[in-house]
Amino acid sequence: MTVGELVRELGLEVLVAGDLEADVHGGYCADLLSEVLAHAAKGDIWITHQKHLNVVAVAKLKEIGAVVLVRGLRPPQEVTDRARAEGVTILVSPTSAFETAGRIHRALFP
Amino acid sequence: MRRIRADLHIHSVLSPCTDLGMSPEKIVAGARARGLDLIAVADHNAGWNGPYVRRAARGRPVVICAMEIQSEEEVEVLALFPDERTCQTLSEQIERVLPDIFCDPETFGDQLVVDDSGEIVRRVDRLLLSPVPWPLGEVVRRVRDLGGLAIPAHVDRVPGGLLGVLGLLPEGDWPALELAPWTSVEEACARWPELRGRALLRSSDAHSPGQIGRAWTELAVKTLDVEGLGEALTDPGRVRPSPPFKETPW
Repeated sequence: MTVGELVRELGLEVLVAGDLEADVHGGYCADLLSEVLAHAAKGDIWITHQKHLNVVAVAKLKEIGAVVLVRGLRPPQEVTDRARAEGVTILVSPTSAFETAGRIHRALFP
Repeated sequence: MRRIRADLHIHSVLSPCTDLGMSPEKIVAGARARGLDLIAVADHNAGWNGPYVRRAARGRPVVICAMEIQSEEEVEVLALFPDERTCQTLSEQIERVLPDIFCDPETFGDQLVVDDSGEIVRRVDRLLLSPVPWPLGEVVRRVRDLGGLAIPAHVDRVPGGLLGVLGLLPEGDWPALELAPWTSVEEACARWPELRGRALLRSSDAHSPGQIGRAWTELAVKTLDVEGLGEALTDPGRVRPSPPFKETPW
């Protein structure tokens, strides 16, 4: 499944479109960026509440498939500007982290 | 230039997680016993006890009014203020924006303002352990606008440390970074190479009298105040953190 297909299936909002054709095989949930650096895998969907600028740096470094902000959280403009410049996809889900992760998991592993 | 020993991160009875022995008098006694020349009283999101510790110390040691602010991202920042007024200004601003959660002493512990003779001045009812609704950048800007120093606390610690929470050192003009009391400089720099060549502090993060001065920083300062501290931090060669204090991290 690609990031774009996931977006359509779950009705996620695309805040910044990077590579929507990227393949997604799994995901990672964390608000501690040190955890993401240590444990997330390339191409993962990263589900988080964190909207600091470092999210973009970490997503880029770990080649994250897409960042999903939960509960409708919106990052400041400097974050979306940087994500656009770095080609990092940022999506917004209206539901909680639990709900969002559950729905993404069901879509990836039906 | 004077070589001094500083412990810039000491909690008092205003922090609910702190031993009730951390009154202004006891903090001063502990600091003197450990030969500290400069201390900062840094409670969670409030700086109400600093002036009383300063009065109890009468210049021995020199006391900086400070606080440990928790940003929206849950990053903790030591805010060191040039005087009592500026510390009070930010304390008041924070008091207005902290979530209105009652600090039940049974659950969280007491939050007490205690004067230099040990009398309780007042009890702070609103829980001080919540993050302020300001992003890290705004916390730093507000401290700087008041002439203070914003120094990320125990950067390598999870929870609450800048590098633990945000993974990498964000861009910015950081005057210094505080290491957790138990991490060696070598360990920290090996994991986060961006720490190399920076002014690194170590402090006790004391929550009980016995912990005061268990870790410290030696500095060569021109003046014994926040301005002198800020000036010393511009030259990492004049900043020497103590050896780590080994214990199980909390």
